[in-house]
Amino acid sequence: MRDVAIIGAGMIPFGRRDEDTLLEMLSYASLKALDDAGMGDKKVDAVYVGNMGAGILQHQSSIASSLVDRLSLLPAAADVVENGPASGGSALKNGFLAVASGYYDYVLVVGGEKMREVTGWRATDFVATMTHPEVEYPYGITLPGMAGMFTQLYMEKWGVTREHLLAVTLKNQEMGALNPYAHVEMTLSRDGIFDSPDAVVNNPYAASPLHLYDLCPVSDGAAAVILCPLDVAKKRGKACVQIVGFGQATDTHTLQEREDPTDLKAVTLASQQALEMAKLKPSDISVAELHDAFTILEIAESEHVGFFKKGEGGKAAAAGKTRLGGQIPINVSGGLKARGHPVGGTGVAQVVDIVFQLRHELPENRQVKDAKTGLTINFGGFGNNVTCFVLKRIEP
Amino acid sequence: MKKREIPIIAFKCKKCGRIHYPFHDRCLTCLSRDFEKIHPQGNAKLLTFSAIFNLPWGFDQRFLIIGIAEFENKVKVMGQIKADSIDELQTGMTVLPTWEPVRVKDGENIYGVKFEPIK
Ligand SMILES: [Zn+2]
Repeated sequence: MRDVAIIGAGMIPFGRRDEDTLLEMLSYASLKALDDAGMGDKKVDAVYVGNMGAGILQHQSSIASSLVDRLSLLPAAADVVENGPASGGSALKNGFLAVASGYYDYVLVVGGEKMREVTGWRATDFVATMTHPEVEYPYGITLPGMAGMFTQLYMEKWGVTREHLLAVTLKNQEMGALNPYAHVEMTLSRDGIFDSPDAVVNNPYAASPLHLYDLCPVSDGAAAVILCPLDVAKKRGKACVQIVGFGQATDTHTLQEREDPTDLKAVTLASQQALEMAKLKPSDISVAELHDAFTILEIAESEHVGFFKKGEGGKAAAAGKTRLGGQIPINVSGGLKARGHPVGGTGVAQVVDIVFQLRHELPENRQVKDAKTGLTINFGGFGNNVTCFVLKRIEP
Repeated sequence: MKKREIPIIAFKCKKCGRIHYPFHDRCLTCLSRDFEKIHPQGNAKLLTFSAIFNLPWGFDQRFLIIGIAEFENKVKVMGQIKADSIDELQTGMTVLPTWEPVRVKDGENIYGVKFEPIK
């Protein structure tokens, strides 16, 4: 296997982008990554597009073929990769393996989703199509509902409290407000969503015991990276980022068939595989982007990856250990909670944010000092298909 | 009595005894393809639940409580919970299963499990 580098990264601001079609968003993010890599007229061999719902939301299929045509990347090989909210991670996996195998040299990986053109009702139903079509979906279960049932158990078994969840909300909103690409650009006050009498109105239950501000927003957005062999990247004389570890694992489709539904086995396995491949320990990681579609997931994933022991993740968040400057800065970008969650785009956006960190190009109030390694978790379904990447800074 | 008949079929592995619901072509534990069809029996124990606001398309109500419960013969099933508030619920409590319409699709009732807390 060849070593693989990320030589270009780009994303467009997440949020509500009524002015753009899905294809336009994928194009804009791709162009940013191509330009960031200085590709010029260099040939791209293959394109992998992470997208979950164009067929449902835009009534559009074969978007990878449309994209290469629009970007004049013909005759590059082009495929859509769908793995629910981990479509981005799976698309990057395909690009990584294609370059590592030696088959392709230059690969574009782009992930994106346009979710805001349908009503909230329809968007919720779209995301719920991931649930089991016979034994879950008919009951009206939603992904926040799955997260609510998970949180109920996690709080009871592992002692996570609403204070712990609140710490994640406040941290990620605060960091998102500093990120020009983030969907949510405002900080929240603890008083307004927790302490004051108005908090009940401002921050009601969304899926008990989770409240409104425990959930990520529904977003439009796209992000892209350019991959090539590390040998080629090194000749450019600039710092770049190597994909040193990858892991992916699956778990039962339904929550009810897991022996212990609080055990996110796929997160544990995917991160173990990726760290083992990278020959690193959780304590070697400088910065992480975890899939906090719900605040509880940032806490649970921080434990399952091994940053903290089981039952310690919530306390660590409340103690500031996951903030910038803390023991392991998590979701410095604002995470899904504030950067936003265009489902097919998230896995790529997480990697783009880690690339920015490892190239040391962020402003001081967002840069993890001297970051050398980063880790991402992209969580598909309700933890039934999870990808993990470990990235490393390569000095020029 | 007819309300207590829950027409769900779960699948007990003939080799290792693991109970599956929904159906899998091979046992999740031992890969065997031989299953005995069983029905959920008796009352159920509520394992977890959530009151869900922001419902999907197709549900015209303010909120819905959904949970997972385990029947006396260990079959675990998701269902809607008949309660006005989560204040009436706690994990581990006994719930009474019924078979009722759970949603309407194209003007037709879709049936499923509802669990009612035993007061
Ligand atoms: Zn078996």
